[in-house]
Amino acid sequence: MGVIMQLQQKGKKDREVSTVKGETTDLALFVRTSEEDITGWNRHRIVEALLRETYIDPKTAEKISIEVENIILSGAVKTVTGPLIREMVNAKLLEKGLERARRMHTRLGVPLYDVDQLLVHPNKENANVPHSPEATNLTLSEGIKKEYALLHVYSADVGDAHLSGDLHLHDLGFIDRPYCTGQSLEYIKKFGLNLPHSLSMAAPAKHPEVLLAHMVKFAAALQSHFAGAIGWDAVNLFFAPYLEDLGDRQVRQLAQMLIFEFSQQAVARGGQAIFSDINIYWEVPKHFENVPAIGPGGNYTGKTYRDYEDQAQRFAWALFDVYKEGDASGRPFFFPKPLVHITEKFFKTEGHMDFLHHICDVAADKGNTYFVFDRGDTAKISECCRLSFKLEASDFEDAKEPWRMRYSALQNITINLPRLAYKAEGDDTKLFTLLAEKMMLAKKGHQQKKRFIEKLMSLGENGPLSLLAMKCDGQEYLRLHRCTYLIGMVGLNELVKVHFGQEIHASDEAMKFGLKVIAHMNIICKKLNEETGMKFVLEQTPAESTAYRFAKLDIAHFGERARKVVQGCVEKENMYYTNSTLFNVGQTMNPIQRVEQEGLFHPLIEAGSLTHIWLGEAYPDREALADFVIKTFKYTQNDQVAFSPEFTTCLDCGKTCRGLHSTCTYCDSEHVDGITRITGYFTKVSSWNKGKVGELHDRYRNDNQFMKTA
Amino acid sequence: MTLFTKPQCSRCKQLKDRFDLAAMRVHVEVLDNNNADSLAHLAWHSLIETARKTLPILVLDDSSTIDDFSLIENQLISRATQYGINGRDSATKKKNCPSGACSL
Repeated sequence: MGVIMQLQQKGKKDREVSTVKGETTDLALFVRTSEEDITGWNRHRIVEALLRETYIDPKTAEKISIEVENIILSGAVKTVTGPLIREMVNAKLLEKGLERARRMHTRLGVPLYDVDQLLVHPNKENANVPHSPEATNLTLSEGIKKEYALLHVYSADVGDAHLSGDLHLHDLGFIDRPYCTGQSLEYIKKFGLNLPHSLSMAAPAKHPEVLLAHMVKFAAALQSHFAGAIGWDAVNLFFAPYLEDLGDRQVRQLAQMLIFEFSQQAVARGGQAIFSDINIYWEVPKHFENVPAIGPGGNYTGKTYRDYEDQAQRFAWALFDVYKEGDASGRPFFFPKPLVHITEKFFKTEGHMDFLHHICDVAADKGNTYFVFDRGDTAKISECCRLSFKLEASDFEDAKEPWRMRYSALQNITINLPRLAYKAEGDDTKLFTLLAEKMMLAKKGHQQKKRFIEKLMSLGENGPLSLLAMKCDGQEYLRLHRCTYLIGMVGLNELVKVHFGQEIHASDEAMKFGLKVIAHMNIICKKLNEETGMKFVLEQTPAESTAYRFAKLDIAHFGERARKVVQGCVEKENMYYTNSTLFNVGQTMNPIQRVEQEGLFHPLIEAGSLTHIWLGEAYPDREALADFVIKTFKYTQNDQVAFSPEFTTCLDCGKTCRGLHSTCTYCDSEHVDGITRITGYFTKVSSWNKGKVGELHDRYRNDNQFMKTA
Repeated sequence: MTLFTKPQCSRCKQLKDRFDLAAMRVHVEVLDNNNADSLAHLAWHSLIETARKTLPILVLDDSSTIDDFSLIENQLISRATQYGINGRDSATKKKNCPSGACSL
């Protein structure tokens, strides 16, 4: 509406310019809403807007414009602004029962008070975003895009289900991006850095430092086109052809550069850190053994990757040397997360026990190492907090040209499981019917976002997703046909508690019931796949803020029933639901028992699962950890394991000590912050939302485990 | 004793045709797209990944498992003998999977 005012003032010519389709520059440049801009009132602008933006008839539009004009001319309104007129028109639409037209005519924006709060106070929805002017830009634009998504991308039933807390549409503020991506370094090794609209084009790197620079820049570009994690497959292997002429010190330097470059991007860019994951193999994975290696300049080296095992191992070892040392003050690096694949071949590869001890040493000391278990012929690219893309037959074909290996999850929608149990009131049939209904809604939400992303992608190189539409290898970077659609879950433990009367860990029967719920979800996903041709898969949602949001909304909707069920302290608003299919985080439980029993769910959750082992202050023995990892691989179904120590970092003396303390153990300063894993990644506790703080308080620390045995 | 099977699985059918499993007190679980209970039961025994490679799978009373088809046959023959039941002759005694559907 503000545009309309301005157009009248500036005359017909400008009006024509601003209505050019496909170009919104003038909208951004010339929107003026202050009183002094309104030099000539013309109610026909209201009519024009209503006819352009809604489906109401001209007569009704005319009538509304007259009614609004009467209010303004009556002098009841002292300051006339574009947003105000729009709200007045909307009120008239409501009065006339024209709700659909009102939605179409909605103005998206943020109240002054909210902006004031956001500019000053940090937003803790995502602990990965530092508080800065760039970050508040992100939050504000996210706010508008969220509203847009709920009004314009999703149907009312899907939007309402999100708003009421039946389900959670993740990253609504990033509605115009896919969720996350996993890819191969081979893409930039082969094609260089040739991004749409960039000011210069870089040929394939000839030197390892340049390849690293390309990787980091490309990751940053991808981060601004995806909502979540940016994962890289077999990083140490694909760097290997560049390392042959380097000495150990140079390899170590390169490893250090890689980790620092990724870990400091949040500060440099001001917005969200690049949620980066590097997949690492000690062995050369079977599917890459005979693949011709690409080396400096994007040229084939004449060897296959099988020939680069030594170099790949050297780089992997150096990366973990750097992780072990930590940053300049000894703190763990938050990103990139190193995910080491433990496979059958790992155990057949020379030096594996030394490497296992090395990465277990890092896990014990700094907690960085993720252990990803690929049993049998399974191979996958892992990323995010636990997401993984399992390679299928066609992917193994793609592996012959690894730059083709680009995978994405388009969106994640999470079901509020405890709420189903409140509503089912002990009735099994009702419970599973409700679960199916919510999954149908999730399917609908996925289809709607898919259509929206397809629309943006269809704009090609002139669209907002031009980076994802580029076709260096003949197909778009974002391979929509290979996208997955994630359906997550929060609070299985609380569902079982409400419906069955016990938490999952409490009895075999409770556990079996929990398995039945997830099996039911797994089966529905398969049916949805057959029905739609899309690939729906279950994922253990990281639920950094969703577990808190659902708990809080359920207390509002279900009162005392929910109060008795949620975890954490309701009075302090530290309430939360247990994440995904995890057991009660506070339950005293032998870690091998936890890994084994939580692992029973993992094969049903095909897009990734994880078991956390919280270490607290303990400093486990690396050999005991290695033994634990081997047993987990051999005797359980567990998909991934991460060990999480805790630290206190002093903001005065800069030193970091083990455990969470209220004062610095070196200088007694109270100016300290905690560091530990929030969901899948390490971050500062001061940036956590209330629910996660509640969970941190409750976590059972395995203080006396993993000690050296005689 | 539980036998995990699947519709269209030719080896599963072969066992069902040959043995009177109910009389032998072998509980049969059918894994299909409408049976969350059976899938959950399979997960409880840590057998999802095994079932993705091969079916049928036999879970013995002591919770140990057999996924080798010949060993399953032998086990069921012993069980039949124990219960005094004669196994029926199966028309086709193929160890491989002619239907291509002998996995989850």
